[in-house]
Amino acid sequence: MAPPAGHGELTRQDHRWAVLSAVVIRLDRVTKLYQASTRPALDRVSISVETGEFVFLIGPSGSGKSTLLRLLLREDVPTRGTVHVADLNVARLPPRRVPRLRQRIGCVFQDFRLLPNKTVVGNVAFALEVIGKRPAMIKKVVPEVLELVGLAGKAERMPHELSGGEQQRVAIARAFVNRPLVLLADEPTGNLDPDTSQDIMALLERIHRTGTTVMMATHDNSVVDSMRRRVIELDLGRVVRDESRGVYGVGR
Amino acid sequence: MRSDLVAREVLTGLRRNVTMTIAMVLTTSISLGLVGAGLLAVRTIDRTAELYSDRVEVQVALTANLSAIDVDCGQAICAGLRATLAGLPLVESVRFVSQQQAYVRFKELFAGQALTELAEPDTLPATLRVRLADQEAGAPAVRAAMAGRVGVRTVIDQRDVVAKLFDFLAGVRNVMFALALVQAVAALLLISNTVQVSAYTRRTEVGVMRLVGATRWYTQLPFLIEAVVTGVVGAVIAAVGLLAGKFLFVDRLLAENVSASVVPPIQLVDIVWVAPILVMIGAGIAAVTGYVTLRLYVRG
Repeated sequence: MAPPAGHGELTRQDHRWAVLSAVVIRLDRVTKLYQASTRPALDRVSISVETGEFVFLIGPSGSGKSTLLRLLLREDVPTRGTVHVADLNVARLPPRRVPRLRQRIGCVFQDFRLLPNKTVVGNVAFALEVIGKRPAMIKKVVPEVLELVGLAGKAERMPHELSGGEQQRVAIARAFVNRPLVLLADEPTGNLDPDTSQDIMALLERIHRTGTTVMMATHDNSVVDSMRRRVIELDLGRVVRDESRGVYGVGR
Repeated sequence: MRSDLVAREVLTGLRRNVTMTIAMVLTTSISLGLVGAGLLAVRTIDRTAELYSDRVEVQVALTANLSAIDVDCGQAICAGLRATLAGLPLVESVRFVSQQQAYVRFKELFAGQALTELAEPDTLPATLRVRLADQEAGAPAVRAAMAGRVGVRTVIDQRDVVAKLFDFLAGVRNVMFALALVQAVAALLLISNTVQVSAYTRRTEVGVMRLVGATRWYTQLPFLIEAVVTGVVGAVIAAVGLLAGKFLFVDRLLAENVSASVVPPIQLVDIVWVAPILVMIGAGIAAVTGYVTLRLYVRG
């Protein structure tokens, strides 16, 4: 049976759109209301990020950056609107498929979130072990990633023996070891001094060059200004600026 | 799923929480031990019933007159009674025991005791011994058939004596099950609490697991296995406790009665029969409690 007229065309168009522009993150008129607050945390936010982009998400505290990242990770669902990561409709994802989403997203935080009782190599391997990867595969890729983040010599150290910058490198290694489509970083330099921050940014840049899409929420204007990447600014839950080669902000 | 990793998580969890784990194991084992004792009581009741069903008879005692006259149930009255009894559908067989036979049996039973001196041949009645096909409905049927009949002095149901023994055993069983239930509630709460504490102390790990996309099954299986392991260990301790109880306590207590075949002994086989049931109950309850706790209190 032939498909109805127009239907096949649409499908082909969708397909071309997916291949050519390869949108990896797409928020469509996303609104998020929290019960405790009258003002929406996100207010009709529409964002589209293509594969291989490096995006800064900026804005003051409470502007909705963290909420946006939580929606991408399906830690929360939007009140209205749709969220897509790659081909997954995030808000509609049944709970049992959420792990599949999270396996495609790497995550880094201000507080590193390392396991204090595991070595550097143990922390990175843990991320693969718990999603059921083969030991042989883990043995092979973990040292490669540690090499990439510059910690090959400190594989057997415990987290408390490392500096903040080194701990964040371990966290980045852990986030990247499963080769995610997207790396989300929530204030990754928030606890670090400016020099160390620059090192971490260089590392994120290196990861970005492997083809990974990076989205980084930050307050750090010097970092944003020096990179000259796409900047999406949120204020009171709305997108107030979206520039392809932006700086943190004029007059701040 | 890699079993070595899960095993490592489980061991770490049990070690980290060692006091709680011990409390949980002990409570579980006491509860299951009581359940086991109750089950053994049930089994003993069944055995005792079997033991007696072969031997217990309903005796129709004849009047003194008739007993003296009729030595072989050849006369009309006794023969009539016998025919009536034999005709009842619930009766298996009827046997006549004459006054003389009863006296001989009595002297055998109480040989060497002063009681034999008191008995004269004509003090004991002749009896029709009725063996029942149906233990439950038989005795009332015999009673009904014999009511008001000439030549019948009384109907003695030996089961009345045995019933007291059954009441005692049933009482033991009920007490065991009641105590087991109370302990089971304590065990459930402890298991539930331990799972929560366990999940809380490992929230960092679980947080990371969730973040990197481990399935709910993978993040929660260690907690479940932890609960099941304590359940199984509790059951094993309970079984060992029952064994010890049998050899150190019950055997000695029953020694006299057992040798007289009043109460059948608790055998090793019985405990072997009870142990796997306890393990299954322990593991099952722990698993269900753990699962429900995780669903209710712990975010996946």
